Amino acid sequence: MRRETAWRVFAGEYLDSTLEIKGDGAKTPSYVVTPLGAKVNRLFIVGVLTDVENIVEGGDFIRAHLSDPTGVFTIYSGQFQKEVTEKLSTIEVPSFVALVGKIRTYTPEDSGTLYVSIRPETVYEVSAKIRDNWILETAWRTKERIEAFLEATKMNEPNARELEKLGYSRALSQGVIAAINHYPMISVDRYIDMIQDALAYIKPMEEEEGFIETEVEKPKDEGAKDSNEVEEKILEVIRGEEGEDGVSWETIIERCKTKGIKPEVVEEALNSLMDKGLIYEPVLGIIRTT
Amino acid sequence: MATEDLKTHIEELLNILGDKVTAEELEKEFRRFLEYGVPIEQAKKTLLKKHGVSSNYQDRTLIVDLQPNEKNVHILAEVLSINKKHATVRGKTREIYYGLLRDESGTIPFTAWKDLEIEKGDVIEVTNAYTREWQGNVQLNFGDRVKIEKKEMEIPTSEPKSYKIKDLHPGIGSVELEGVILEVERRNVDVNGEEKTVFSGIIGDETGKTPFTAWYDFNLKKEGRYKIKGGYIKSWRGIPQLVFDENATVEELDVEGSVPTPIRRVPLHILVEDGGAFDVEIEGTVIELQQGSGLINRCPECNRVLINGECKIHGAVEGIEDVRIKCIVDDGTGAASISFNREQTEKLIGKKMEEIKEMSEGEFLDEIRDKILAHPLRIRGNALTDSFGVTFIPREVVIVERNIVDETFKLQEKLEGLQ
Ligand SMILES: [Zn+2]
Repeated sequence: MRRETAWRVFAGEYLDSTLEIKGDGAKTPSYVVTPLGAKVNRLFIVGVLTDVENIVEGGDFIRAHLSDPTGVFTIYSGQFQKEVTEKLSTIEVPSFVALVGKIRTYTPEDSGTLYVSIRPETVYEVSAKIRDNWILETAWRTKERIEAFLEATKMNEPNARELEKLGYSRALSQGVIAAINHYPMISVDRYIDMIQDALAYIKPMEEEEGFIETEVEKPKDEGAKDSNEVEEKILEVIRGEEGEDGVSWETIIERCKTKGIKPEVVEEALNSLMDKGLIYEPVLGIIRTT
Repeated sequence: MATEDLKTHIEELLNILGDKVTAEELEKEFRRFLEYGVPIEQAKKTLLKKHGVSSNYQDRTLIVDLQPNEKNVHILAEVLSINKKHATVRGKTREIYYGLLRDESGTIPFTAWKDLEIEKGDVIEVTNAYTREWQGNVQLNFGDRVKIEKKEMEIPTSEPKSYKIKDLHPGIGSVELEGVILEVERRNVDVNGEEKTVFSGIIGDETGKTPFTAWYDFNLKKEGRYKIKGGYIKSWRGIPQLVFDENATVEELDVEGSVPTPIRRVPLHILVEDGGAFDVEIEGTVIELQQGSGLINRCPECNRVLINGECKIHGAVEGIEDVRIKCIVDDGTGAASISFNREQTEKLIGKKMEEIKEMSEGEFLDEIRDKILAHPLRIRGNALTDSFGVTFIPREVVIVERNIVDETFKLQEKLEGLQ
């Protein structure tokens, strides 16, 4: 069996994904296809490990967050990756880490919404220089995908074979076509901006010192007021619905929708509420207040 | 259907049918079929049958169109080569026959589990064969159900197509190539019990290099420049190789001066998709270290790595110390496993074997992590395919020191071009 490529994808692009190509397990793997056509089964990420928490008592199931300049990857690691789980629990936060991992998806019943996270295979600490290297590499790969996407949209009948002839990999060519067929709107500008934002994080050497802090703080500062308001509302929803057994992720999403809160905002707020210790996930997909 | 297209089909039918029917008649009948919505290929087959030509090898597949995992494969091909070897299957030794077939469209390797009593030059009609993917390429298998029939006919050779070395891939049937002989060596080999002389070496052009084998003495000289017409491409573990024999024409070209043959830089997806490459350069990041990295002991007899001081073949032996790094290199488009030998490891770590021996296993692994894990490497060598995917055999390696600031500016400029 062929080894799956470790794609370089920014969190911002990965989290935009709503398309999963389901495999049947051992022989045909599953893929998440991003709007720019990355057909991902495995990823290589370098970012800032911001927090690690036990979801299950005893510590054999943990959730961690790995932030890059464009967003935050959610990492779930359990007893099947014991070594990685232990390793993640011992790394001091915040620090730069490199991670090789597989896609992990979750779709609440009937919701049709796809939540993407990562199941790590290998994790290790790295230097700021390696992090810059990764941003640069990922920026180049993202630009390549934008170009492949633009080439495909120029075609009368976009097809993978023609893309391959232009020199793009078979996997990317297939991914771009799948993305075009699935995503109603793909904004190239959004991803060009994303690359530029990411590149802005590559700092000349002397500024390296203080910049872990600024980076970790930044997403929290931005729109802090708005998100507090949203979190309040979501907490209200959960308290109203949880009863004895907690409330399912999908119900929260549904209730919030009627209040005009978008699913992606809800997910972010839930993560934040968990970070603050105001809610927890007794069973995967079920939320309770503490 | 455009009249042009229709004419092409009619001509094709007439070529087969000869004088049995006139063009006008045939066109009338053909149009009638199409009016009724009969698919073109089916219409052609039916017409051939009606006019007395058995549809037999009309529904054969062209070799170039064969995909992995096809059943009931039906082809018409000439045997380019056939060899015998012994293999052990479930403890029993069996004979395997393997070789290469060609038709007008290309070549394909085949494997058979019994003696098919065919030889080089035979034209055969094969039915009920099946295909598999093997080392990145399609392979034809002759199982129990296969039917092989010898044909008294010739398969036309398509006019050789001109290729550059970077575009060669297994399956190409008839090649024209212009290049410089970089190395050539005369060898005697045993082919099914018969001694034959072959000339093998490396040929290069401005796009890359490839190994070749000539089964005939064309008097090839090192540094000579030649145009070779009528060769074909064979694969060895995914690496394409040019093969030509007495049916090829070789012309020596009179060109002054040396010819540059640069090392071809390839993204890793090319190696994964093609299954192999000869003397190329890759650049990728070490994303994982693998088991077996570090200090090892080798058997003095066979060079195997000792496990608990024992060789699999020679038992307990006094081992020879060695060091290596096994890792996965991935560039975001594809991945390869690579094993760096002692010399390369010393260079990557910046320490000599003697210093490495002073370290504990943990210290040494930390050192590797520090120096190369998540670092970009530039590596020159050959790529092969085995059941785990692409393996890259490194000849040279350097750690890439990127000028991050420069490259960032370069990329920002390109992005402006996209907006
Ligand atoms: Zn031995």
